[in-house]
Amino acid sequence: MLKNKIIYSAGLICLLASGCAKKLDVLPTQSIDQSTALGSSKDVEVTLIGCYDGLQSTSLYGGAIQYVADLLGDNGDMRFGGTFQNLLEIYNKDITPINATVSDIWIQAYNTINRCNNVLSAIDKVETAKKARIEGEARFIRGSLYFELARIYGKTWDDGDNTKNPAVPLVTAPTLSITAADFKGRNSVAEVYAQAIDDITKAETLLPASNTIYATKNAAAAQLSRIYLMQAKYAEARDAANRVITSGRHTLATNFTSLFFTYLNNGGASPNEYIFSMIVTPQDGGNGFNTYYGVTISSIPGTAGRGDFRILTAHVNLYDAADVRGQYFYVNAAGNRFTRKHLDRFGNALVFRLAEMYLTRAECNFRLGTTVGATPLDDVNRIRNRAGLASLATVTLADILKERKLELAFEGHQLHDLKRTRSTVGALAWNSPKLVFPIPQREIDVNPNLKQN
Amino acid sequence: MRKLYSLLWTLLCTTTLLWAQNPVTGKVTDENGNPVAGATISIKRTSTATVSDVRGDFSINAPQKSTLVISHVSFGSAEVVVNSSVLSIQLKTDASSLSEVVVTGYGTKIKRDITGSTGRVSGSDIENTPIPSIDAAIQGKAAGVFVNSGSGKLGQGITVRVRGNSSISASSQPLYVLDGVPITTTSQSSYGGTTNPLVDINPNDIESIDILKDASAGAIYGSRAANGVVLITTKKGKTGRTNVSANIQKGYSEATKRVEFLNAQQYIDFYRQAAGYRDRVAGTPPADPNSWTSYINDFINYNSFGTAGTPNQKDYNWQDQAFQRGGYTQADVQLNGGNDKTRFFLSGQYLTQAGTIIGNDLDRMTGRLNLDHKASNWLSVGLTMSLARTMNRRLPDDNAFSNPLQMAALPPITPFTDPNTGLPTGTPPGDVDLPLYYNPVISVNYAKYVQESFRNFSTAFGQVNILPGLRFRSEFGVDILSQNEEGYFQSQTVRNQTRAANGVGINRGTFITNYNTNNFFTYDKSFKQHVIEATLGMSYQQSQSKYNFVEGLQFPSNSYQRIASAATKSDGSSSETNFRFLSYFLRTNYKFNDKYLLSVSGRIDGSSRFGLNSRYGFFPAVSVGWILSEEKFLENARFVSFLKLRGSYGIVGNSEIGNFPQLGLFSGDAGYAGGAGQRPSQIGNPDLKWEQTKQLDLGLDFGFFNNRITGELDYYTKNTTGLLLNVNVPATTGFTSQVKNVGRLENRGVELVINSKNVVGKFNWSTQFNIATNKNKVLDIQGQIIEGGVRSMNRVAEGQPIGVFFTVEYAGVNPANGDALFYSNTKNADGSINRATVTNAGYGTAQRVVVGNPNPKYIGGITNTFSFKGFDLNVFFNGVFGNQINIYGLGQYSSANAIYEDNQTADQLKAWTLANPNTNIPEARFYRGNGNQPSSRYIVSGTYVRLRSATLGYNLPSSVLSKIKVSRVRFYVSALNLVTITNYPLWDPEVNADSFTNNYSIGNDFYTPPQPKTILFGFNIGL
Repeated sequence: MLKNKIIYSAGLICLLASGCAKKLDVLPTQSIDQSTALGSSKDVEVTLIGCYDGLQSTSLYGGAIQYVADLLGDNGDMRFGGTFQNLLEIYNKDITPINATVSDIWIQAYNTINRCNNVLSAIDKVETAKKARIEGEARFIRGSLYFELARIYGKTWDDGDNTKNPAVPLVTAPTLSITAADFKGRNSVAEVYAQAIDDITKAETLLPASNTIYATKNAAAAQLSRIYLMQAKYAEARDAANRVITSGRHTLATNFTSLFFTYLNNGGASPNEYIFSMIVTPQDGGNGFNTYYGVTISSIPGTAGRGDFRILTAHVNLYDAADVRGQYFYVNAAGNRFTRKHLDRFGNALVFRLAEMYLTRAECNFRLGTTVGATPLDDVNRIRNRAGLASLATVTLADILKERKLELAFEGHQLHDLKRTRSTVGALAWNSPKLVFPIPQREIDVNPNLKQN
Repeated sequence: MRKLYSLLWTLLCTTTLLWAQNPVTGKVTDENGNPVAGATISIKRTSTATVSDVRGDFSINAPQKSTLVISHVSFGSAEVVVNSSVLSIQLKTDASSLSEVVVTGYGTKIKRDITGSTGRVSGSDIENTPIPSIDAAIQGKAAGVFVNSGSGKLGQGITVRVRGNSSISASSQPLYVLDGVPITTTSQSSYGGTTNPLVDINPNDIESIDILKDASAGAIYGSRAANGVVLITTKKGKTGRTNVSANIQKGYSEATKRVEFLNAQQYIDFYRQAAGYRDRVAGTPPADPNSWTSYINDFINYNSFGTAGTPNQKDYNWQDQAFQRGGYTQADVQLNGGNDKTRFFLSGQYLTQAGTIIGNDLDRMTGRLNLDHKASNWLSVGLTMSLARTMNRRLPDDNAFSNPLQMAALPPITPFTDPNTGLPTGTPPGDVDLPLYYNPVISVNYAKYVQESFRNFSTAFGQVNILPGLRFRSEFGVDILSQNEEGYFQSQTVRNQTRAANGVGINRGTFITNYNTNNFFTYDKSFKQHVIEATLGMSYQQSQSKYNFVEGLQFPSNSYQRIASAATKSDGSSSETNFRFLSYFLRTNYKFNDKYLLSVSGRIDGSSRFGLNSRYGFFPAVSVGWILSEEKFLENARFVSFLKLRGSYGIVGNSEIGNFPQLGLFSGDAGYAGGAGQRPSQIGNPDLKWEQTKQLDLGLDFGFFNNRITGELDYYTKNTTGLLLNVNVPATTGFTSQVKNVGRLENRGVELVINSKNVVGKFNWSTQFNIATNKNKVLDIQGQIIEGGVRSMNRVAEGQPIGVFFTVEYAGVNPANGDALFYSNTKNADGSINRATVTNAGYGTAQRVVVGNPNPKYIGGITNTFSFKGFDLNVFFNGVFGNQINIYGLGQYSSANAIYEDNQTADQLKAWTLANPNTNIPEARFYRGNGNQPSSRYIVSGTYVRLRSATLGYNLPSSVLSKIKVSRVRFYVSALNLVTITNYPLWDPEVNADSFTNNYSIGNDFYTPPQPKTILFGFNIGL
C-alpha cells in the first residue's frame, strides 16, 4: 500500500513531466517563420501584394506623401484648423525632428522598401510567366518611394551639388538579421535619384501595359516624368508623359466632377483618367486625404473627415467665374470651405492622373520650344475646356503653371512645383531649409551614421 | 490518520527521553467554545508535537512548567504554561500577527518562521469595502506595493508594482495565483483602454492575499516571480454549526473633483485677445474679413448659435455634463460549516454599479462553492469552484473625442441643446459640426460598447498521506474566461465614428482556457532540535487564447443593431495564441533549536516563450533567519518580545515577454484591395529568454511590549539583467525594433511596517502603518532611445528611473514681450551647460533634459481601527509622495494660452499682457505656438494623501441578539476616497491615461476621468 502510493504519485509526476516537455514547442497561428515565407512563386506573389499594402499606408501614397506637399507648400491657399501639432508644424513651416509625420513617412517607406527587397531577393522563385511583372511592380514601388524620400528629406535637385547633398540611405537587400552594416549613412541626392530612375526605368520595361489595379507601364512612365521634371530634364519628362498619353490607355474624363467620389459614385473603381491610385475599400486601406481635407456632410452619407484643411477665399478667387473647378468646394455652416476632391470616406487615393501628363508635356514642350505629341497651347486648352473655360489663343509659361496649380490643386503637387520653378513659398525662398523635412529624431538617435539636415 | 499518530508517538518516544514522562491532556476551543480540530500542540524549544482531534482533544507528554505552543491555520497560536495535567485552551482569531499563517506557494508557514519577505492583506480587511477589484485592495496596505487605479472608469485595468518596476518591455504586473492556479490577468479589452480580469473575483470570497516580495519567497515561482507573486486564497469551510451571513449595502458616488475652466464671457474675451495679437503682428485691420479677429468672431457667433453677445448668452459648463451621480448596490450571502469529514463554504453576490462618468456601468454576479472532504485516514479531496458574470458598459479611451471628460474642452458658449432640434447639440438632424468637437453625449445616447465576461475558476485536489510527515498532493485547476464584446454605433455618431454613416456594429469573442496542474510531495520531520520541511514537485500550465471578431456596416436603420442585418460585413478575423510552462520545484526549510532558520528553494522553468537555445532556466534562492529573542542574551530585555533577523538572496525571472518574441516572422495581414498579402513582421532572436532578477533582502521582524507593537523592516536590492528590450534599430532596415535581452536596471528600497495595539480594553485602538521607498535606476539600455507617453515625453534613460519626463525645460515668460522661454541646455565648449533661453523659434535647438519622475519616492498607508462596545471605526489613509505627472495631454489644448479654440483652464487667464508682465503663462496667440510645445511647463507634482476608506459600524449587543435569535447584526456606513489632499491641478493625481499601456508611459493625464468618491450604507446579519 505504502509502496504503491509512492510509486503512483512519483509515476504521475514522471508521466506529466515527460508528456509535457514536448508541448513546449508552440508555433504562432497568424504568422510563419521567415525561413519558410518565400519558398514558392505564390509566396513571392503574396509578398508583392504586401508591398502594395505598405505603399497604401496613409503615411505614404494613402495620403501623407501628397498632403504634406500641399501643407508645407501652402502659399495662402488654405488654413490648417486642426489639433494635430505635427500637421500644424508643417503648415507653419516650423517642423521639429520629433514631428510624428516626419517619422511615420520615413518608417513606413522603409518598411515597404524592405518588403520590395524581399520580393526582389526571391524573384528567381517566381514562375517565368509572371517574373517580369512581379519584378517590375516591386521596382516601381521601391523606386517611387526612394524618389519621394529624396525630395522630402533632401535638398531640391540642383540646390547646390547633388552629389554632395545628402538624401536618404539606400537599402536594396532584405533585412534578415540586424548587423553593423544596417547602420547606414545618407546617400547623396544624386545617388538616390539614380536608384529611383534605375528602378522605375526597368519597371517601365518589365511592366505590362495593363495590370488591373496594379502598377502598369504607364504608372512607371508617369513617375519618370515627375522625376525628370524635378530634375528639369524637360526632354525626358516630356517624352515620358508623352508615352503615357500616346499609349491610349487613359482618356480625360468628360466631366471634371466625375473624377472623384470613386467609392460613392463609381463602385470603388478609379476613373479611366487615373493612371495609378491606391484602392480603398471598406475592408481595407484608408484615405489620408479624406481624413484631413474631408468633412462630414449630413446630406451625403459616406462623406467623412476631420475638416482640418480649410480652403481660403484667396484660393477660390484664382478661378475664373466659369471654371467648374472653382465651384468644386463645400462650405459648411461654420463658414469653413473644403475641397470636394476628398470627401469620399472610401475614395481611392489618387497618385497620377492623365491631366498631369498633358500639363507636364505642355510645360516641357514650351520650355524646349518643341511640340512633341501636341502644342503646349492644345494641351492646356484641352484641360481648360474640360473645366468649362474658353480656349486660350496663346499660352505663356505662367498660364501653363497656373493651369497646373488649379487643375491639380490639393493633390500633392504644390511644394514640389514651387521648388522646381524656384518660386517662393510665403516669405520663404524655394530652397529655404524650412521647406525640407528634418531626419526623424528617432532615426538620428538610433543611428549615429545619420546626419541631421 | 492512525498511522500518522503511531508514527508521531514513536517519534515522541525517541525525542522525549530526556523529559520526565508527564502526560498532559487538553481541549482546544475557539472563542465561542467550539472545538478546534487540527491544531498543532508542541512543547516550546523542542520538536515534541501533537495534533488536536475533531473534538479538539489532545494528549502530549510534557513536563510541568514547560510551555506549550498551540497553533492553527485559522486562528494563529497561543502559548500556555503546563501547570496541571488537564488544560483548556482557547484560541483567538485576533492573535498576534507573528502567529499568522502565511501562504507561501505550494504550502503554508507561520509568520514567525518565515525567512523571506511577504506582505499580507486578510479578507476581513477588505470585506464589504467598495473596492473595484481585489488587486486594488492591496493599495496602501502592503509595504512596497504600489497600486495606481489609473482612472475612475469601472472595471478598468490598474497598475500594481511590487518593489518597483523591474522591467521595461515585459509586463511588470505581479503573477496572480488563485488557489494554486496562475490566472489570466492581462486585459482582454479591444476598446477604451485596458480592463482588469481580476474584476471577476468576488472580494468577499477572499480569505487572504499574500504577496511574495523577495527572491526567497518567490523563487518557488521561478521565471514568473520577478514582479512579485500575489497568492489569493479563498475562504474554506469551518467545522461546526452552519453559519449564514447576509449583507446588503447601497450607496452613491460622485467624481472626486472638478477642474475650473473659463466661463462664456471669459472665453470670448480671451480668444478675442488671442486673435487680436495675430492681427496686430500681421498688421491686418481687425475688421478685415480675412483677419483672425473676424475669424474668431464668426467662430463665436456660430458656435453659440448666435447667442454670444446677445442677452441670450449663457455659461455652459460642459465638464459638468460628463459627470453623473453614480450608484452602488451589493448583496451578499455566505454560508459555511461542516463536520469532521466534510466542510463547505458557499457564497453568492450581486453587484450593480453606475459610474460617475456618463455611460459607464458595471454589473456582476458571482457564486462560489468550496468543499473539502476527508475520504479516509490517508486520503482527502477537495474542490473550489466559482462562476462569475460581469457586464461592463465601457467608456472610450481617454484620447477619444467621445471620452466624456473631453467635453471640458468644448467652448462654454455652445448650448448643450441645439435650439433648432431640442436635441443634444451635434445630434442629427441638427448641425453636426457643432460643438467644436464631437459631443460625447451623442455617444452615450446613440452608441454602446458592452463587455460581458463569464469566468470560471475551479480547482480540485487530492492529498495522500503516505507516511507520517510525507504527503503527496495533486491539484488540477482551470481558469476559463469567455468574453463577448458587442458594440453598436448608430448613424448619429458619424462625426466620431466615420464608418458609422449607416451604423457600425462590432462583435468580438475572446475564449481563454488556462489549465494548470501541480503535483508535489511535502515532507515534515522533527527530531531533537531539528525541524525539516521539504516540498518537491512539478507543475504544468497550458494557456490558449482564441479570438474572433466581426464588424458590419450599412444597417437598414438604427433599429437593427446586430451584424445579421449589416449589408456590408466590413471586417472580420479569428486568431489564436498559446503559451506553456513546464516546471519542477524544490523547497527545503530547516529549523534548529526553534531559532535558527534556513530555507533553500529552486525552480526549473521551461517555456514555449523562450528561444530554442535557452528553453529551460534555473531559479534558486537561499534564506536564513535568526530568532534573537530566543537567545539567552535577550531573555532579560523584557520589552522585547520578539526579534528576528533574516536575509535572503536568490534569482527569479520574468517570462511575461509575449508569446513568440523569439521568432523571425512573416504575417499574412498585408492584403491589398481584396488580394491576400504577407509581410515581414518581426525580426527574430533564437537566444531570447526570460529577464533575470537577482534579489537581496535583509530584514528585521520585531515585537515589543508583549507584541503590542510588532513590525518589519526590510532593505532590498533587485538587480535585473537581460532586460527584454525592443531595441530600436534603424527604420531603414524595414523594422523599428528587435527584441533582445540586453538591458540592466535596479531597484533598491526600504520598507517599514508597524502594527500597534495602542489601547486595549473596553476601548480598543490599533494602528497599522507602512511606508516604503523604492529607488529605480536604469543601468544599461545599450544606448537605446525608449520613449512613450503623451508626445513621447516619457523616457527610459540610463542612470535615471524608468519613464522619467524628458523634455525641454520651460523658463517662463519674457516680461518684455510675452514670449514663452525655454532653457537652451546645450553644452558649451567648456562642457558647462548653456542656461541661456530661447523662444518658440529656437525651441528646436533647446536640448531635452530630465524634468520629472513619474515614480513615487515614498508610498505608504495608515489604518486606525477603533472599537468601543458595539461600535467600530476604521480609517485608512494612503499616500503617494514625490512623483510628477505630465498634464500635457490636456495642457497642449486646454492649458495652452488659447492656441486652439478649446476651452482653457481658468489659470490661463493669467496669460501675459502689457498690464500683467510678470506671469508664468505666455501671451495668448491664436494658432501660433507660444509655449504650448512639450516642456516642463506641463510637468506637475503628483503627491497626494487620500482618505481611501473609512467605515463606521455598530454591532447589536449579544443581549439583544439572543432575544431575536440571530448571531450577528451590524449596521455600517462606509466611504471611499472621501478626501484627497493634493496640489494637483487637474482631476485626480492617481492617474494613468489608458491610451498608454507600457511600463514607461506612466504618469500621464489625458482628460482622464477621476476616481469616484463613494458613500454607502450597509446592513449585515448572521444566523
